[in-house]
Amino acid sequence: METGSRTAAGKEMLKLDPRTKLAILITVGIIMMSGKLTGIEYILRLICTCVPFLLLISVKLYKTAVISALILFATVLCEGFVIPNTKGILNLMIMIICGVISRFGPGYICGWYVVRSTSVSEFVTVMERMHFPNIITIPMSVMFRYFPTLKEEYLSIRDAMKMREIGQSIKNPFTYIEYILVPIMMSTSQIANDLSAASLTKGLGAGRKRTHICSIGMTCIDYILIAAMAAMLVIFFVF
Amino acid sequence: MKTKFEIKDLITVGIFTALYFVVTFIVACIGFIPIFMAFMPLIGPIFAGIPLMLYFSKVKHFGMVTVTGIIIAILMFITGHPYPIFIFCIGAALITEFVLRAGKYSSIKHCVIGSATFSLWLLGMVIAFFFGFREAYFASLVDGYGQEYVDKMQSYTPTWMFFAMILMCLVGGTIGGLLGARVLKKHFKKAGMI
Amino acid sequence: MIEFSNVTFSYEAVRRDGENEEAAGVKDLNITVKDGEFLVLTGGSGCGKTTVIRLINGLIPAYYNGEMTGTVTLGGRNIRDMSIYDISGQVGSVFQNPRSQFFNVNTTDEMAFAAENRCLDPDEIKRTIKSTAVSMRIEDLLDRNIFELSGGEKQMVACAGINVLSPEIIVLDEPSSNLDHQAIKKLAGILRSWKEQGKTIIIAEHRLFYLKDLADRMLVMEGGRVTAEFGADKIPELSYERCEELGLRPFVLKEIPFMRKDEKKVCGSIELKDFNFTYKDKMHSISIPELEIPEGSITAVIGNNGAGKSTLVRNICGLEKRCKGIMRFRGKSLKPKGRLHNCYMIMQDVNHQLFTESVLDEVMLSMTDKSLGEDEKAKKAMDILIELGLDAVAEMHPMALSGGQKQRTAIASGLASEKEIIIFDEPTSGLDLHHMKLVADQMKRLKETGKTVFIVTHDYEFILRCCDRIIRVDKGMIGDEYDLNEKTVGKLLDFMNINDGGNENV
Repeated sequence: METGSRTAAGKEMLKLDPRTKLAILITVGIIMMSGKLTGIEYILRLICTCVPFLLLISVKLYKTAVISALILFATVLCEGFVIPNTKGILNLMIMIICGVISRFGPGYICGWYVVRSTSVSEFVTVMERMHFPNIITIPMSVMFRYFPTLKEEYLSIRDAMKMREIGQSIKNPFTYIEYILVPIMMSTSQIANDLSAASLTKGLGAGRKRTHICSIGMTCIDYILIAAMAAMLVIFFVF
Repeated sequence: MKTKFEIKDLITVGIFTALYFVVTFIVACIGFIPIFMAFMPLIGPIFAGIPLMLYFSKVKHFGMVTVTGIIIAILMFITGHPYPIFIFCIGAALITEFVLRAGKYSSIKHCVIGSATFSLWLLGMVIAFFFGFREAYFASLVDGYGQEYVDKMQSYTPTWMFFAMILMCLVGGTIGGLLGARVLKKHFKKAGMI
Repeated sequence: MIEFSNVTFSYEAVRRDGENEEAAGVKDLNITVKDGEFLVLTGGSGCGKTTVIRLINGLIPAYYNGEMTGTVTLGGRNIRDMSIYDISGQVGSVFQNPRSQFFNVNTTDEMAFAAENRCLDPDEIKRTIKSTAVSMRIEDLLDRNIFELSGGEKQMVACAGINVLSPEIIVLDEPSSNLDHQAIKKLAGILRSWKEQGKTIIIAEHRLFYLKDLADRMLVMEGGRVTAEFGADKIPELSYERCEELGLRPFVLKEIPFMRKDEKKVCGSIELKDFNFTYKDKMHSISIPELEIPEGSITAVIGNNGAGKSTLVRNICGLEKRCKGIMRFRGKSLKPKGRLHNCYMIMQDVNHQLFTESVLDEVMLSMTDKSLGEDEKAKKAMDILIELGLDAVAEMHPMALSGGQKQRTAIASGLASEKEIIIFDEPTSGLDLHHMKLVADQMKRLKETGKTVFIVTHDYEFILRCCDRIIRVDKGMIGDEYDLNEKTVGKLLDFMNINDGGNENV
C-alpha cells in the first residue's frame, strides 16, 4: 500500500499520463491473458513481456526489473518452445506453472508500476477528466487516504497486544482476528464520522463540481505509446 | 427512504471499502501458497465478512454497495487483473443491493445473505483460469496434437472446479457474515455504536 | 457578526446513522460576537463549548441531529437558511484531532482542498498556497506526506488550509490538545496574525496560557450555559487561584505554586545500559549509554517534539526488538522480551488497547497466572476495579465508557498483569483541570502501591502535581535529569518557557 506515500514530485525518468498507463494495462492484460501460443499472437506476447521491464526501469527499480524480466522471458519462451515438445502430465505441469506466471505476471507488474508511479491526486484528477462521477471519485480518494491510517492503527494495536502479552500463541485464530479487527473497526467508524464532519466544513459536496490543482497532460510520448498499444490490439484482434 | 448520496455516505463507502479490500488482500497474499489458492474463495470471505457486516449495518440506501463493487473492480483492474473483473464485481454488488433492500437495510439475516452474494466478485479473479486462457491454450494445441488429445487434456482441468468455487464463495461469505453478526452483537451493539 | 439568541440545542441520544452522541448540548445561549473579535470559550468537559463551535461552522444542524430552538445568525443570515456549503465559505474550522481532519494524503493537496471545493482557479490556488507557505514559514511542509508529520506540523497544515481560502470567521476546537509547547507557540503566532488581519476568531480551549494576550473576551461555560464572562481588561487579573476556583487551567504558568513536600523514599533503582536505537527511516534515534531511575517514583520524560521521548519509552517497554540495551531491575538483567514482561504502557489513544467486551473481561485478560481459577481471577479483578472506582461499570463494554474511564480501564489491566513499571504517553492531552487532577491523583496512588511510573508529557501543571523526577530528552540523548523540588522547579519552568508562547516573551 505504497500509494499514499508518493507525493506529486516524482522521481521517475519518464512521466506518463495516467491515461497512457491505463492503455498499457488494458493492452497487456488482454494480450497476455487470452493470447494464443502460436503465430502472430505469440510475437505480440513477447513484446508485451518487455513492457513491465521498461516500466520498472523508468521508475528506477533496476533490480526488480531485471529479475522479473528474466522470469517472464523464461516462462514465455518455455510456453513457446518447451510446451509443444512435451507430452502428458509434464506438459500439463509446465503449462499450468508457466501459464499462471506469464498470463498474470505482466499485468501484476504493470499494476504495481501504476500504483508506484501515480499520486493520489493525479489519479483522482484523471478519473474526473474521464467523467467518472464524484460518487466514485470521492470514496476512492478517501480510500487512498485511509490506507496509511489503517497501517498506523494496525501497528499500534499490535504493540498493545505485545504489551498485554496476548495473541502470541495463536490457539484460536478467531479470537486473534477479533482482537485485531474489532479495535480497527471501532476506530474506522470513528474516523469515518470525524472525517465526514471535517470535509463538510471544508465545503465538500456530493453533487458539486471541484477543480484540481494537480496538472496532468498528454505529451508526445503518451500519444506514441497509446498509438502503439492501439496498433497491437488491432493486430491481436484482426489476425 | 432517502436515496441521495450525502458526503457522509461517500466517506463511509470509501473507508469501509478500504478496510474490506485490505482484509481480502491480506488473505489473498496468504493465498499465494498454492494449496490455499484454490480455497481463496472460501477463506477470503470468512475474514472479510466481519468488517463487511459492519459496513452493511451502515448502508442505508440503494447504490452504496454498487459503488463499493465498482471501486473494487477499478482497484483490481489497475493492479493488473483482467477485465472480466468488472462484470463480476458489479454483478455481485447489484445482487447484494437487492438482497439488502429486501431486508429494508436493517435485517441482519439479509446482511448475512448479502455477505455471501457479495463474495461472488472473487470469481472475477479466477474466471480467466477456466474460460479465458484455457480455451486459448487448447485452441492452440488442436493444430499440433489433434482434437482427441485436447479433449483428454481438458478433463484434467475440469469446469466443475469453477462451480465449486461459486459454492465456496457462498459458504465462505455466509460463515463470514455470521461471524460478523456475532462481532456486531458482542461488541458494537454492547458499546452502543450501532 | 455572529449572534446567538436564546439558543437551546440537545443532541438526539441516537443519531440518524445509529451512533451515540455523547457531547452535551447548550441551553438558552445569548452570545454576540463582533466582527474581528477574539473569543475564548472554556469550561470543563461536557460544558457545551464544542456545541457552540458546531453551531457556528454549520455542523449543527447539517451533520449532528438534535432539537434546536432559538436562532443563530451569521452576518445577519439565519444558519437554518444557509446550506453547510454556504457556511463553509465564510467559516474556517480547525479540529482537535489532526489525525482525522485531513481528506488528503499530500499536504499541498490538503491546503488546496477547501479552495478546490469552491471551484477556484487552480493556478490561483497554487499561487496562494505558495505565498501562504512563505508567510507562515512552512515551505518545508509543502508537498509532503501528511502521515510523516508531527501533530504540531499537522495543525500548521490545517491552519494553512484556512489561510488559502481566508474566511472571515475562524473557529478552533481545542487545537492545542495534541501539541507540545513549541508547536503551541507557533499556533499562537498564527492566531496573532489572524487577529491582526481582523478575522473573527472563536476558540474552544482548556489550555489557556497561550491565549492570554490574544483574547478579547472569555466565556466560561458549564452545563450548556455561560456562567462567567471576562473582558480583555479582566483576563490579566485572573490569578492562578482564581482560575482554580473557576475550574480552569491557569493563564500564567509561572504562577503555579510547587506545593508538595519531599517524600523521599528511594528503595532501589532501575538502570538502563546501552540504549541505542535507530528507526529504519533513520529519522529518529536515541543513544543513551547509561541512565538511572529511582524505583517507586514518578518520572516525567520531557523534551521537544522529535527529541526521542516516545522512542525512549518504547525501548524501555521492550517494543523494539532490535534494541540491544539492557535494563537492570531488581537484580535481573532484562532484554526487550523481558522488559515487555515487566512494563506496561498506557497509550495516548487508549482505544487501541482495549480488546474485550466488558471491563471485567478486559482486566481478567491480563491475568496470565495459570494457577488461578476463573472465579479467583474475577474476584481479584473486581478488587482492582473497586480500587479504581470502576466497579459500577464492570459489565459495560469498554468502548461505551468516557475517555477517563477508558484510561482507568487500561490502568486496571496493567495492574492486573502485575507489571512493576507503568508508562504513560501523554495521559493529560485534552483534559480539563478537574480530569487532569484525577489523573495526577491516580499516578500518586500507583506510586504508593510501589509501581515505578514514567510519564511522557508536555503538561507543566501536571508535572508539578505529581512527578518526582525529570528526564529531559534532547536529540536522542539525555539532556538533563534531576529531582523535582523547590530548587529545580525554576529549571523546569525555564525549559517550558523557552518554548512558551504568549505570556513571558511579549
